[in-house]
Amino acid sequence: MSADVMVAGVLAGGLYALIGLGISLVFGVLKMMNLMHGELVIGGAYLASLLVGYAGFDPLLALPFAMLGMAALAYPVQRYLLTGLLRASPNAPLVATFGLSLVAQAVLQAVFGTHPKALNAPYADAGFTLAGVRIQAVYAISFALTIVLCGATHLILTRTRAGSAVRASAADPMTASMLGLNVGRIYALTMAGAAALAAAGGVMTGVAQSFTPTSGLPLLLTGFAVMALAGIGSVGGVLLGGITLGVLQSISTDLFGGGWRNFVVYTVFFLTLSFRPSGLFRRAVPA
Amino acid sequence: MKQKTGAAVALLSATTVALLLGPRLDPGTQDLATTLLVYLAIAQAWNILSGFAGQVSLGAATFVAAGGYAAGLALAHTPVDWPAGVALAVLVSCAIGAALAVPLLRLRGDYFAIGTLAASIAVQALLTNWNWAGGAAGVTLPIDRIPTGTVLFELAAFVAATAMALAVYVRYSAFGLRLTAIRDNEPAAAGLGVAVYRHRFAALVLSSALTGMAGAVTAYQYVAVSPGGMASVNWSLNAVLMALVGGAGSVLGPVLGVVVVYYGLTRQLEDFQVVSLVVEGVLLVLIVKFAPAGIWSLLTRAGRAIRGRLLGAPGSAPATPEAEPTAREIEVV
Repeated sequence: MSADVMVAGVLAGGLYALIGLGISLVFGVLKMMNLMHGELVIGGAYLASLLVGYAGFDPLLALPFAMLGMAALAYPVQRYLLTGLLRASPNAPLVATFGLSLVAQAVLQAVFGTHPKALNAPYADAGFTLAGVRIQAVYAISFALTIVLCGATHLILTRTRAGSAVRASAADPMTASMLGLNVGRIYALTMAGAAALAAAGGVMTGVAQSFTPTSGLPLLLTGFAVMALAGIGSVGGVLLGGITLGVLQSISTDLFGGGWRNFVVYTVFFLTLSFRPSGLFRRAVPA
Repeated sequence: MKQKTGAAVALLSATTVALLLGPRLDPGTQDLATTLLVYLAIAQAWNILSGFAGQVSLGAATFVAAGGYAAGLALAHTPVDWPAGVALAVLVSCAIGAALAVPLLRLRGDYFAIGTLAASIAVQALLTNWNWAGGAAGVTLPIDRIPTGTVLFELAAFVAATAMALAVYVRYSAFGLRLTAIRDNEPAAAGLGVAVYRHRFAALVLSSALTGMAGAVTAYQYVAVSPGGMASVNWSLNAVLMALVGGAGSVLGPVLGVVVVYYGLTRQLEDFQVVSLVVEGVLLVLIVKFAPAGIWSLLTRAGRAIRGRLLGAPGSAPATPEAEPTAREIEVV
């Protein structure tokens, strides 16, 4: 196994972790599978493409705007639709978020067309060699960004008052609301945060590869795979889960060729989910 | 068990009418009817597993592919006739359902849904790389040995009737009552002596076999099997959409759902992909928001209200079997 393969896997894994973090956050706090997460990711990429295309922004400059934009879109959806469904029946949010993902795909198709798009950046195809290992610049950047965002999420959850409120709502929403926390608002804020993280992942995905309005589903599955590998409720676990997935993909592509990559990845995902549902990494941080 | 007999008689007459009408239809209508019947079988199979037994699956495509590929490859690689292909499809999808049950039945709730989704993607990836099964391009079936036209329609009618019969059985039998008991309160059901694992296993395998049979019909209808056609996530999504829109956990809900979703939406909006997606998506959200028990339950409730008013004694009308509130509804109330 060459060092190139391992390093490429680790760096790509950073991006997967970023995509998985939002899903894991929503599931950990709201106990809800968010089937529109892929569209949140792709929506971030399309929002950034507007700024890159019309205002000539660099994708990294467009990134915070895309994050804010997706957060602003996701907040009311959670506040006024999904939280209510959460109380109605266990499957309702699953179905509703799936419905919303269909709507989002259609809107993206109508507005942007079905042609593949990519976010142009000088570092999109650039690479450099470090200690004899070939590194793609865009993955190095996205890896650094993932570390920063994972660190920020971790610190917000563990060191701030808002983070305590989120953790309290996750642990026991009844008691939390009895103690005066507005759980509905906290849920919506959590979803907005997850959407912002998704958008960041989307922008970096958009720089690294092209995307279409239907690219959301594979990204959603990537996110689920990360969550299954990581287990629920630990930011550090998500990071490790993403990296594991990246290395797994990289190695299986190297060993069996690109065609078998998905088979290996989804089989490992499936078996992990079934036989080790708490993830490969025990929860390190209560969330 | 008067209701059960009534349902059986109704099903038998509907099947007879379908078989009598079938040969008189023009080829276009016959093809449409075949498609509707295939979807009915798939939606009903999902309904048995998820509506009655409460295990929400996002993996119907796994078994459409298993059945379709078994039925297709049997004809493409051996000299057997199509009935043997269909029989093989049932066997293979049963076997795959039983094998997948071992890991899947360890999962509950949303985890089960995600597990079935992951399994279906793994199956699609496997088929894409399996050269004997034609790889990504798939295999074209020998046209002279596959059923077409009226025969195919009759096969589809048989498969759909089997699915309906099983749904009626599940709805009225002690087996079905135990399944719904597990769905509504697993610890309580287990406490009362219901063999939880065995029942969940049976529902999964039964649903797999039905879906596999429908997959076989689809393979013959397409005259080809390919990973994109047989293992597409769309099968899984349509199964959920149709059963939920019509009414999961009722016998006639999926029938209504198939007609509304396929004939009413997919078919009519064929040329307007974007509109079709938006309508389907919004419909799903509206259904779970305002009619979580589906259109069928709305209709029966409206029917009861009207009848009650006509008889002048509101609330005294007997509950129709299809409209019994599920435990979920009771919890909400």
